Amino acid sequence: MTQSPSSRWTSLLTSLRAKPWLWQGAIVIFLLLLPLPLGNYYRTVLWRTGLYVMLGLSLNLIVGYAGLFQLGHAAFFAIGAYTAAILNLRLGMPLLYTFPLAIGMAALLAYLITRPILHLRGDYLAIVTIAFGEVVRLSLVNNLLGITGGANGLSGIARPVLFGLTLRQPIHHYYLLLGFLVLTVIAMQRLEQSRLGRAWMYIREDEVAAEAMGLDTARLKLLAFVLGSGWAGLAGALYAGQLTVISPDMAKFMESVVMFCIVVLGGAGSIPGVVVGALGMVTLPELFRPLKDWRDAWMGLAMVLMMIARPEGLWPSRRIQMELREEEEA
Amino acid sequence: MQFLQQIINGMTIGSFYALVALGYTMVYGVLKMINFAHGDLFMWGAFLAFTGLHVAGSLTGQAQPWLLGPVFIAVTLVVAGIGVLVERVAYRPLRSAGRLAPIISALGVAFILESLARNIYGPRWLSMPQGFVPSGVLMTYQDVRLSALQLAVLLIAFVLMAGLYVFVQRTRTGVAMRAVALDPLTARLMGIDVDRIIATVFLIGPGLGGAAGMTVGLYYGSFDFTLGWTFGLKAFIAAILGGIGNIPGAMVGGMLLGLIETLASGYLSPQWKDVIAYVILILILMFRPTGLLGERIAEKV
Amino acid sequence: MSKRLVMSILIVFSMLGGLVGCGGSKGTIKIGLQGPMTGDYAYEGQGFRNAVELLVEQTNAAGGINGKKVELIVEDDAGDPTQSALVAQRLVDAGVVAVIGAYNSTATEPASEIYNEAGILHITPSSTAVRLTQKGFKRFFRVCFLDDRQGLFAAKFMKEVLNAKNVGILHDNSTYAQGLAEETRTYAEQMGLNVAFYDAINPNDKDFSPILTRIGAANLDAVYFTGYHSQAGLLLKQSAELGLKVQWIGGNAANNPVMVEIAGVQNAKGMFVTTEPLPQDLNYPEAKKFIADYKAKYGEEPASVWTIMAAEAFNVIRYAMEQTKSTDPAVLADYLHNQFKNVNGLTGPILGFDEKGDRLGTIHVAYVIDENGNFVLYDKQPSP
Repeated sequence: MTQSPSSRWTSLLTSLRAKPWLWQGAIVIFLLLLPLPLGNYYRTVLWRTGLYVMLGLSLNLIVGYAGLFQLGHAAFFAIGAYTAAILNLRLGMPLLYTFPLAIGMAALLAYLITRPILHLRGDYLAIVTIAFGEVVRLSLVNNLLGITGGANGLSGIARPVLFGLTLRQPIHHYYLLLGFLVLTVIAMQRLEQSRLGRAWMYIREDEVAAEAMGLDTARLKLLAFVLGSGWAGLAGALYAGQLTVISPDMAKFMESVVMFCIVVLGGAGSIPGVVVGALGMVTLPELFRPLKDWRDAWMGLAMVLMMIARPEGLWPSRRIQMELREEEEA
Repeated sequence: MQFLQQIINGMTIGSFYALVALGYTMVYGVLKMINFAHGDLFMWGAFLAFTGLHVAGSLTGQAQPWLLGPVFIAVTLVVAGIGVLVERVAYRPLRSAGRLAPIISALGVAFILESLARNIYGPRWLSMPQGFVPSGVLMTYQDVRLSALQLAVLLIAFVLMAGLYVFVQRTRTGVAMRAVALDPLTARLMGIDVDRIIATVFLIGPGLGGAAGMTVGLYYGSFDFTLGWTFGLKAFIAAILGGIGNIPGAMVGGMLLGLIETLASGYLSPQWKDVIAYVILILILMFRPTGLLGERIAEKV
Repeated sequence: MSKRLVMSILIVFSMLGGLVGCGGSKGTIKIGLQGPMTGDYAYEGQGFRNAVELLVEQTNAAGGINGKKVELIVEDDAGDPTQSALVAQRLVDAGVVAVIGAYNSTATEPASEIYNEAGILHITPSSTAVRLTQKGFKRFFRVCFLDDRQGLFAAKFMKEVLNAKNVGILHDNSTYAQGLAEETRTYAEQMGLNVAFYDAINPNDKDFSPILTRIGAANLDAVYFTGYHSQAGLLLKQSAELGLKVQWIGGNAANNPVMVEIAGVQNAKGMFVTTEPLPQDLNYPEAKKFIADYKAKYGEEPASVWTIMAAEAFNVIRYAMEQTKSTDPAVLADYLHNQFKNVNGLTGPILGFDEKGDRLGTIHVAYVIDENGNFVLYDKQPSP
């Protein structure tokens, strides 16, 4: 008895799904080889895509797993970058050493800011995060405490030095980012399946019920924010080392919106969803430059259409898809 | 004396915020959604007024102040029409889609409106044609000046607010709106055409926004497409400050925000005035989210 | 599941499809132009493009440089630093030997890092931030003058021509304006002026009545605003409406006729502007010819001095290549540093470049706005 093509395909997928490390390994090898035949420009585009994937994953913790509206995520991206830059420029700290401090600073500020506002309901929370993002950006522009360099930003940031090799070329930065990205994805997958991840999902689905079940929702939401923001800080430090010039524009609202769309349009709560989102929101507009002037309009149109046709995103996690469909039928 | 002048300055800009806030607060009150596109609708009011006045001026050969009336009505109607269209296309399908989807859709609409303005009118600044607005000072008192235009703006804002308040409180449509705001399901059961009421809300709210846009555009004389974003956010802060959904609250919130901003600009530094506005927002939401005059929407239990 | 798989494969393929680059042409000299073709400064970016395309056309018609045709590759950085880094990378990959650009200092900075790494000759027509030439980049030059030159000029103007004692300085927190404001303050205080007022507005502000009221009460002889022309226009208008008797001076970001349109002629009248000479005041035969050619091709005269500067940058590159008979950036840079002296340019004689790459000398002048709203050279200028 011969198998029909579709059932052969299905059984192939099933066996692949059973051995995730097989195709995940294949993807990693693909990513390792990808930049080799490409010129510096495309390598930089790849790097930028990867950076936004990392930012998307960090926001995914907050928006996707815990279901909180964060429209000021870029502020923490900037905080990480500025921390790394200031430590490097003023204290001469080698860039890679600044990474833990950049993460810590972003996490700390996230803790201080979000603790008092977590009880706010969805759309109010969104507004407060927007406001906070702007406060951070404007403080950077106004040269807070005299160390943020004003609208000029900071320049002359040192390149990261790894085992004696100074990472100058785009391909070096790509591999450095790839390393961190692989770690991030592994961590996210673990979180998704852990007790913590499930606790977040309960809160996202029905906060009142979760409270009733004994979950300390306030603390868990705070944890999501702190972790996600710290991760964004890491991305910021990597950015500082690559571009060597940073400016307050990193924290502008549009950046936060792009990150938010990466998560929500790509598919909230799912890692492949974030990748698709990053490809769509960052890589595609970069490669289709003739669309430049109308890019914002296309992005807006995509946002509206996606919400109407497929609010769970292009590649959502199964749970969220179910949640949203249930809500609609209700 | 400087202080008195700053008060006048503050109330002028406050009345602008109040005007824009009225539209925000109306829509939120009835639909519980933040219409992020409101600021851009306001901006389109200014842009359309620019086109309208130029056309009107060239048709009649010179700028006639009485042309303001027809152009004002035309602009308000067009922006109101855009508002209804936006609601029908981008918001209505999402009414049952949770809290997140309408926000994203609204942002999307905001981007589309902004991009259209930038591509149609260009990235440069536009100046309203001269001669339409009364210039000149109404009264002076020891270096403190109040211009005719400022007084006019204050009056317009007040009249519009009063009119809206009366409309919502006294007319049948207004009562229906409040019913929908309170409980859409029951309102529908009572025979209210909820869809039509919502469309009306989006007629009046954006219409007010468009009127505000034309007023602000004429007052400052020149603007660019970034007009929508800042004003929109400030107006939203004003609406929250006064109590979202609360019409007198929008007025109070607007005035208060205008005054605080102005005094901060004048006595501290203009650099920090936006930061102060945002900090106020954060504080209000943290400690008194219902705003100064209290919310006017039902809370689901 | 398979639907999603198909969708994402499609996306990856379309991305790869975009990666298929286009081939280049051999035997040409590739020169890059980077500027804001879109965004807030689109007008200036397009001016760059018009100017350089005109000259490339003329050069190729006359046989090219050293017998080879010039191929111009234009990229848009929208005035944004991240975009700028990306397009710089593209230009490097495309194999250019020299780049003209960018317009604003914020965009030029990251690009200069990339060009420096790639060893390409880089000339900016208009980025005046002092910081750019402090990094020791051997192949980076500018044909414009530094902010500190303009700051010095402004301070001298206020002291010598206006006889001011108490002055105010206002900027808008942007890279360029803040730098110029600080330079001006330093020189003003050195000269004994009292900088009684020093503050900043935000780039998107439209209502300045609070700060203007404060300025009005501060009894200043002159106020120097270093921000952009659109806000300068609003400042002038609102200042007049508040009945202030302030003598306004603008920096070279204000020298744009739109400012007069925004302010209203009667409110702009009498304002001074410190700037490089406007194109119509460049009394050099080369400039006059260029303006005429520009008008013939594009139907209007270049209104911005930066357009001329972009042309100047191209001419410098062309001249260096012709003199050295080489397109090697190292050779060209060496020539520009050491042997390029006293060449007649569109903006006057180019005395040369110092070891940091800055253009020697200064050409700032003061303009005043007359009762018709035109920018005319003011008859009193400070000492050189």
